[in-house]
Amino acid sequence: MATVTPAPATPSSVQRLARRLDGSALYVFTGLAVLYLLLPVAVIVLFSFNDPAGKSNFVWQGFTLKYWLDPLGVPGLPQAVFLSLVIAFVSTIVATALGTLIGLALVRYDFRLQGATNALIFIPMATPEIVLGASLLTMFVSIGGPPFFPLSAVTILIAHIMFNISYVVVTVRARLEGFPRHLEEAAMDLGANEWTTFWKVTFPLILPGIVAAGLLAFSLSIDDFVITNFTAGKTQTFPMFIYAKYRIGIPVQVNVIGTLIFIIAVGTVGVTTLARIRADARARRR
Amino acid sequence: MSNQDGVPVGPVVTRRRVLAAGALAGFGAFLAACGAGGTKSAEPSASASESAAPSASAEATVAPSVEASASAEAAGATPSAELNWANWTYYLDYDDTTKKYPTLEAFTKEYGTKVNYSEVIDDNNSFFGTIKPALEAGQDTGWDLIVMTDWMAARLIRLGWMEELNLANMPDFTKNLKDIYKGLAWDPDMKHHAPWQSGMTGLGYAKDKTGELDTLEVLFTADPKWNGKVDYLSEMRDAVGLTMLDLGLDPTNPTTKDCDAATAKMQKAVNDGIVRAFKGNAYAEDLKSGDAVLSMAWSGDMVQALIDKPTLQFTVAKEGGMIWTDNMMIPNGAQHKGTAELLMNYYYRPEVAALVTAYVNYLTPVSGADKILVKDNPEIAKNPLIFPPADVMSRLHDFGALSEADEAYFNDAFAKVSGV
Amino acid sequence: MGGFIKRHRWIAPYALLAPGVLWLLVFYVYPGIQMFIASFWSGTLETGFTFSVSNWTNYPDALQGASAQFVRSILYAGAATLLTFLIAYPLAYTIAFKGGHYKALLLFLVVAPFFTSFLLRTISWKIILGDSGLFLAPLKTIGLVPSDFRLLAEPVAVVSGITYNFLPFMTLPIYVSLEKIDHRLVEAAKDLYAGPWRPGGAIAGLVIGGLLGGVLGYIFEYSIPVFAIAAAAAGAIIGWFFISQSFTRVTFPLSLPGVFAGSLLTFIPAIGDYVNAEFLGNPGTTMVGNVIQNKFLVQNDYPAASALSFILMAGILVAVAIYARALGTEGLTTGRG
Repeated sequence: MATVTPAPATPSSVQRLARRLDGSALYVFTGLAVLYLLLPVAVIVLFSFNDPAGKSNFVWQGFTLKYWLDPLGVPGLPQAVFLSLVIAFVSTIVATALGTLIGLALVRYDFRLQGATNALIFIPMATPEIVLGASLLTMFVSIGGPPFFPLSAVTILIAHIMFNISYVVVTVRARLEGFPRHLEEAAMDLGANEWTTFWKVTFPLILPGIVAAGLLAFSLSIDDFVITNFTAGKTQTFPMFIYAKYRIGIPVQVNVIGTLIFIIAVGTVGVTTLARIRADARARRR
Repeated sequence: MSNQDGVPVGPVVTRRRVLAAGALAGFGAFLAACGAGGTKSAEPSASASESAAPSASAEATVAPSVEASASAEAAGATPSAELNWANWTYYLDYDDTTKKYPTLEAFTKEYGTKVNYSEVIDDNNSFFGTIKPALEAGQDTGWDLIVMTDWMAARLIRLGWMEELNLANMPDFTKNLKDIYKGLAWDPDMKHHAPWQSGMTGLGYAKDKTGELDTLEVLFTADPKWNGKVDYLSEMRDAVGLTMLDLGLDPTNPTTKDCDAATAKMQKAVNDGIVRAFKGNAYAEDLKSGDAVLSMAWSGDMVQALIDKPTLQFTVAKEGGMIWTDNMMIPNGAQHKGTAELLMNYYYRPEVAALVTAYVNYLTPVSGADKILVKDNPEIAKNPLIFPPADVMSRLHDFGALSEADEAYFNDAFAKVSGV
Repeated sequence: MGGFIKRHRWIAPYALLAPGVLWLLVFYVYPGIQMFIASFWSGTLETGFTFSVSNWTNYPDALQGASAQFVRSILYAGAATLLTFLIAYPLAYTIAFKGGHYKALLLFLVVAPFFTSFLLRTISWKIILGDSGLFLAPLKTIGLVPSDFRLLAEPVAVVSGITYNFLPFMTLPIYVSLEKIDHRLVEAAKDLYAGPWRPGGAIAGLVIGGLLGGVLGYIFEYSIPVFAIAAAAAGAIIGWFFISQSFTRVTFPLSLPGVFAGSLLTFIPAIGDYVNAEFLGNPGTTMVGNVIQNKFLVQNDYPAASALSFILMAGILVAVAIYARALGTEGLTTGRG
């Protein structure tokens, strides 16, 4: 292994060293970054096995499995988790659809209201959450009738779709900018109509952007507290549940549920990745 | 079982009077400074003195059903099929094995009402924010029963947003409410609110790090043992109230001048790097993890924190401490007002209140609950954080009512100190 | 449908926009207008509020009262954006170019923590970084840091909290823009600029690192020279070894749209954030979001809260406009070229 020698070394050896460093350093860095991202999750998992004497789950006291055997054994917890999941799924789907359409329109077309639309996308992201929540609540109440009032899961959903749209648009746009239009033109030249071109060419190409946007929207929705708190009324989402419990001590079951959601999510993606790898291998063999 | 001696009480004194006067005269012998740490000593228990103990209290088991309900039904309220109750977290007895709230179960059994009980309140102001638009617009908030701390209760009542109680539905309430809870300026005739639980605000600290403390002055004094490890409460009335007590001012009658003095004192401590943060209940986590060794603290939290970390201590300092109360109220437009009254009344049965106290560990406003606990759960009855001795009670002050303008002044000044 | 759109091409963008834009108009703009009106109110909760244009003074008053917090918000959000960029770019780069089969999994790991509640994560950080927590306790035992040293309740904790919480907002857009770069372009560039650019990269790294380190040292209220020197050294090393000309001339410019989107997605919510300052800070690290939250929920001072909100939004929009002009347009043109 060559030592680090400055200028006098031959370009090729330095280059080789740099390339090797480049490769391994990036992997090491990525590993560290992922570790940094997952460290708090590891603590959450660890403390799901904690056996606190009182109500507070903050200091390690001893190992137990009892909360894993009774993960929903806190009043209100199952309902809260279920509600959060439903809202996250539905708001992700709706917001991703609406946001992708806006992204397409903004990138693919020149039209008169482009500037105004751009502003309309950005300004919600520039609005503090608390303002979004408070102003929505005021509006729901002033309308005063169903489905806006009384507040319910529907009003939470409306709010989540609202704040998710902008994030979806921005993420999808990054993918669409500099999109290889010639591929679409080629498809059209070959006789495909716009509809077919969209689904066979455009959509697969922008799909990674849409998936990224969807992931972002889902994680924003399932984690939102401030806006949800204003628009929830009597219903309680998972973050609201945690917030309320934080006053005195978060039950260990919350860590169990947090761990479960994490495992399910990672597992799902892991399985999909494996499937894709196998499909790739099969395709290559042919 | 605890002994039954206690302080002799003359027969002329009515039963209610005895309880009100802090009942806990029996605790007289108990520690002057109310160092309440992990004390487990078998002290004489509360108010065992009265001979007037109703026989009903002897059986303090869950099912409170038969004996006390007759009066309420006589008043003619028909229980509704359901009731929506918003409360604070961990504020009602809960059975981990059955996954039920025993006292609520018993209520449902007795009245046939299904109670939708939600522990959704984590802050007076933010909950106020969520019900305010509906109340302002004259709409139903969706809640039949809410629980708010006294200053917020005062505001809601002042705004005319809380229903007037039909006391005819609430005989146990009128009978068993302790006297010290009566005659408040903001609701002198108990027409709008029924106290749920009370708590004390004092000093919480890690005894092993700081040694015994008994003066509020430590909160403002630089000392290497706790510099940068002192939490103040983010509730204005608790933080300003304790500071006023330290300054020798009277928090029951707060003026803007007092406010200036108190906030200046806190600001100095902040500038000197003594204060780590202004916290809500999270100070308890800081005390447990060691990130704070000294804090303004609430009694019920500390009872819970002591289970996790027995070296912690709660003290009402020699200058005094604060007392506050959370109150049940019925918002305007509530769909099940009559049933809400029945439920409030139900929780004023001593045997029901005793069960709640045993779980939530705060001060109960229901007279007679202590006597049941003496028999049923002496550990709780003996705990001076839950049934404070008379000398401690005498050092507790409530924060006086503020006019709207003064409240804005106090809030603004306190917000500046806490950095916002 | 396709045929219809072909005949009326001008409709197409509006048809695509309509559902989403309508949603935003009804559920964002309309309540926003109500809030704007509220910023011209005077009065109190109990006496009721009245509207008057002469209450424009709410704006200067609010700004004056919260100027320190405004400055802090800008500094903290800026520092956090910088730090997320420094972490996210190599991360996204590795995933996009060297992720291989694990691309999707790695990408997912970036987002995965955010499927657990931020409150739980924040508590985790408090457990890890506590004065006698997992991280500091060993350092204190071996005497590497003084026993009264702390990370929590310091600016560094607030900025780190924001950095952690918004990392995916930076990583995902950068990944997306890197991923679509045509590899042949990069290969061609490597042929073109075969020689490494070591002195240039090292000097650039030295200067940039030193500057940024100094700024971070100032924001964290630690020693400015120490931070500047350390960062300059790191910058020089990175510049010498890792920055190739094909990267500075091709890859990086092509990824600028992602950097642009990522920094906006990080900076904007970061500047309005109050949760990190509340949980991880001290009374001297509060941000403008904390003031707004306090005015809305504690003091019920809706006019001042609304005015502050609009000042914040206006400030963000101006910053975005400047930023778009300085970096965005250039990034977009190179992205297309």
